Amino acid sequence: MKKLLIMCGTGIATSTVVKGKVEEWLKENNLNNEVKIYQSKISDEINRIDEYDIVLSTTIVPDNIREKVIDGVPLLTGMGIDEMYAKISAQIK
Amino acid sequence: MKLDKELVMIDLDSESKEEALTLLGNQLFDKGFVKENFVESIIERERTFPTGLPTAPFGVAIPHADSDKVNEPQIAFASLKKPVKFSVMGNSDEKIDVRVIFMLALKDPDDQLEMLQKLIGLFQDQETVTKLANIKSTDTLNELIGDRTHQSLN
Repeated sequence: MKKLLIMCGTGIATSTVVKGKVEEWLKENNLNNEVKIYQSKISDEINRIDEYDIVLSTTIVPDNIREKVIDGVPLLTGMGIDEMYAKISAQIK
Repeated sequence: MKLDKELVMIDLDSESKEEALTLLGNQLFDKGFVKENFVESIIERERTFPTGLPTAPFGVAIPHADSDKVNEPQIAFASLKKPVKFSVMGNSDEKIDVRVIFMLALKDPDDQLEMLQKLIGLFQDQETVTKLANIKSTDTLNELIGDRTHQSLN
C-alpha cells in the first residue's frame, strides 16, 4: 500500500478539503485499497518526507523537496485537476 | 451555510491585504469568535503560507490561522472595492488581484469538511466568483451561498 501525504500550512483547512476530494477520487478509481492517506502540516513533515511515496501540498515547499511534491492547489481552483491526478496515478502504479 | 450579517463587509475599501485582513479579522475579534492574536497570526501566516487562489475572473483569498486562536468557528466575508494583491497559495512568487475574501476561523475542520468543500466549490465557477465580488447585501450573499451549498456552518 502506498503512503500518500497531504499537507498544507496549518494542517487544518485546505489539506482537509484536498483530502476529501482525493478520497472520493480514489474510490471512483477503485484505488482506495492501494493508498493510505496521511494529513499534516508542512512543519511536522519536512524532515521525514521520504517516509511517504506520494506527497501532495497546497503550500510552498523548500527547493530540496520540490521534486517530490505534487501541487494540490488545482483541487481548490478547479484548474489543472486532470494533470494533477495524472501525476498521482503515475506514482500509485 | 449562512454568514452572520456582522461578519460581512461589502465593498470594503482597503489599500493593502494587511489592511483588509485587519479590518475583517477585527470583526471576528469584536464578536468574541477569535482570540486577540488571531489577526496578527493571520497576517503572519499569510506571509509564510499565502492563501490567494488564482480563480477566474478574480482571485479569492481564504486566510486562516491555527485553531488555538479560535473560540468559535465562523466565517467572515469581504468583497473589496479595489482589488488587493495576495500571493498565490503554493507559489509566493506569483501575485494575484483578489476581490473576495473568506476569512476562516476553524476549530475542527473534519466537522466542517462538507461546508469547506462546498465553499471551495463556489470558487470554481466564474459566474459565482463574479457575483461574490459584486454582491450588494448580506441577504443576497446568503442566498447565493445557500443555493449552492445547502449546508449549515455548525
